[in-house]
Amino acid sequence: MNLDLESINRCVRCGTCRSVCPVFEEVGWESANTRGRILAMKGLYDGLVAGPDVLDSLNTCTTCGICTASCPAGVKPPDMVEGVRRELVSSGIMSREQALLKERLFSSGNVFGDPGDRLAWLKRRGQEGDWLKGDKAKAIYFVGCLNSYRYQDTASRTFDLLRRFGATILADEQCCGSPLVRTGFDAGRLREANVRQIREIGADTIITGCAGCYSTLKRDYPPDLRVMSVPEFLADRLPELDLKPLEMTVTYHDPCHLGRQSGIYDQPRRVIESICRLKEMRASRESARCCGGGGGVRVGYRDLSLRMAKRRLADVPEGVDFIVTSCPLCIRNLRDAGAGRKVIDIVDLVAASIGDSASAD
Amino acid sequence: MAMKEVLEDLRKIVGDGRVSTSMLERYCYSQDASCVRGMPDFVVRPENAEQISEILRLCNKKGIPATPRGAGSGLAGGAVPVKGGIVLDMSGMNHIIEIDIGNLQVIVEPGVVQERLNQALKPLGFFFPPDPGSSAFCTLGGMISCNSSGMRSVKYGTTRAYVLDLEVVLADGSVIHTGSKVLKSSAGYDITRLFTGAEGTLGIITAAGLKVVPLPQARRLVAASFEDAEAAGRAVVDVFSRGITPSACEIMDKTTLEVLRRCNPAVALPESGDLVLFEVDGTNLSVDEAAREVGEACAPVASSVRIAQSQEEMDSIWAGRRLVGAAVSRLDPTKTRVYAGEDVGVPIREIPSLINKVQKISEDLGIAAMKYGHIGDGNLHVALFIDLMNREEWERLDLAADRIHRAALELGGTVSSEHGIGLARAGYMPAQAGAALEVMRSIKSSLDPKGILNPGKLGL
Repeated sequence: MNLDLESINRCVRCGTCRSVCPVFEEVGWESANTRGRILAMKGLYDGLVAGPDVLDSLNTCTTCGICTASCPAGVKPPDMVEGVRRELVSSGIMSREQALLKERLFSSGNVFGDPGDRLAWLKRRGQEGDWLKGDKAKAIYFVGCLNSYRYQDTASRTFDLLRRFGATILADEQCCGSPLVRTGFDAGRLREANVRQIREIGADTIITGCAGCYSTLKRDYPPDLRVMSVPEFLADRLPELDLKPLEMTVTYHDPCHLGRQSGIYDQPRRVIESICRLKEMRASRESARCCGGGGGVRVGYRDLSLRMAKRRLADVPEGVDFIVTSCPLCIRNLRDAGAGRKVIDIVDLVAASIGDSASAD
Repeated sequence: MAMKEVLEDLRKIVGDGRVSTSMLERYCYSQDASCVRGMPDFVVRPENAEQISEILRLCNKKGIPATPRGAGSGLAGGAVPVKGGIVLDMSGMNHIIEIDIGNLQVIVEPGVVQERLNQALKPLGFFFPPDPGSSAFCTLGGMISCNSSGMRSVKYGTTRAYVLDLEVVLADGSVIHTGSKVLKSSAGYDITRLFTGAEGTLGIITAAGLKVVPLPQARRLVAASFEDAEAAGRAVVDVFSRGITPSACEIMDKTTLEVLRRCNPAVALPESGDLVLFEVDGTNLSVDEAAREVGEACAPVASSVRIAQSQEEMDSIWAGRRLVGAAVSRLDPTKTRVYAGEDVGVPIREIPSLINKVQKISEDLGIAAMKYGHIGDGNLHVALFIDLMNREEWERLDLAADRIHRAALELGGTVSSEHGIGLARAGYMPAQAGAALEVMRSIKSSLDPKGILNPGKLGL
């Protein structure tokens, strides 16, 4: 097995990560924190069998990166975890949930294995013909699986905003590949299908409203493509959006893959503060807790994932009307953990400000 | 040992979900941050003293070793089950049972993390002063068991000074209290101090009453740079002579400063020489005066003196200093810090001699060493770093650590000031303790005749 021994050895086992790992906080066993996961890797190097205990240790990492932010030795555990997952998968070692996820994704092109039309939200508007003719455009709105299938109103609102600036969509968008890449698989086939369409349209910019898609598009797609998150894109165009103030207070949940991983902290806050009052969560920006959904944890360990989300909700300050975020996976997990409709996408807030009465309710 | 039978007994005591025999879990609990290794047969996460009492009764009956463990951040193998048996992971017992400011104390479970206690105390204007570099993640149980301390021990003392009462489960399963809520007592042997620093060899701590003190109104930080350690040592003595007890007094050598700069390039640190950080605390008025006095004491021998200009600057310097020990890899990614010979202490006037001896050991053996520590209480941390894949470097490292320990003993010092003996330094106990080691052995055999509690540690 090809393990990153240099990174493994760089860990001095000091235990700093132990106090920040959100999974460990719920599970309590040493193998469920970052230091334990690095020990699992070292164990594999030393001949430990990759049994269910090793898979649970490695697969419960949400890749939230809060350990990276606090590691004095400069170790980057999420990259290591993803690397080992790849190694194990390439040796045919994976959990049942991983195998099912792969099957679903390759059979349907989306994370849910949903056989339905990915563009149903657009077709309902009766406008698909206008947008799917393959006209040339400079920018693509990459919708993502969650918004395509579960939050179609948000997809529709996002597209309404972005098309003002000339963005179009892919006629046959596939999952970006994030769930596969995070859990150790190769997502080349999906990536190629998306890249081919982007090239045909002639776009050089991809805009997405999903933190998971953003991270994957940024890291695993051709580097000449400029990838932007929706909050970044909107923050650059505030004067053109004609936002109207709303009498409310919201808080903002930093998605790990947008915040810690990509450093996008200020842009969503600029958008929000152009509309209403912002009250920060008890842990925010670099210290923001993970919602518990990422890294394949929601798929493989639903109960654990929701426990983390519940704990994240305890960071919500008193007196806020909404929890705003910019990742549909965070929205889904936080909603399922008890926050319900109180969690909204930043686009829903923008749409409400512009005057779409159906949003942010 | 009939493993299956023991497993069933343990499950009956703590429930299925709190015992593990998984290979990975046992591997994870077979080490702390030191080089010591030892595989447990079982890992148990108890929830209360009653369960621990039952577990120790079982261990005592069947002769099974029991080793308590907090965050596993120890640097001497204190929590490593070198004789196998059961590791008791105490970190889940992490409730602050009572904050009793009226009596200037708190009662905590052993798994409470130091920083979490201080976060709870801060709004009330109080704090628990012992502050190891690991305060963000080490547990109070581990701190008590190793008599830990940190940068502020020069003024506030070590953990031992704050322990008022311990609830301890003894080897036979009986539960005792070593003290009470009184702030002082002269009733018999000081058993509280005996269990503090015993590294779990005499009993398992299940709750602790700890003294807390008022937070100072203000702190100031003076950074003084010196050409060599002797000059720094003279300045420290002069500061004390002026009637000022700094709340921290830290020395860092050139290599340490380089690592600090890599961790946070924004920190304003001098480019050359050894740096001493003096912190003073007190009232808003007194700290300005004390900082000025420290500056004056340093001026004749220092090459530069600077008073930190803001709270942010102070915070960033201290944050860097706290974690510098683990950050060596930032200087050279092929090297890893190995904790060995890292915690020696000498009478404070011998610190310059110790620094020079360590420097010579490092040069003679060709092992890079970062030197930093608490010059105000004589505790020098030496960070040796090597390529872990190079067997020959390991041999030189072991030799360097041995020479550092012996150098400290020759200067009338100690092989461990605040990290503990564990197994890593157990071999030095005869030289360190002399005839007193036999007294320690008598105490051990009286309280733990079957030797089930953390066996193999402290050179007993």
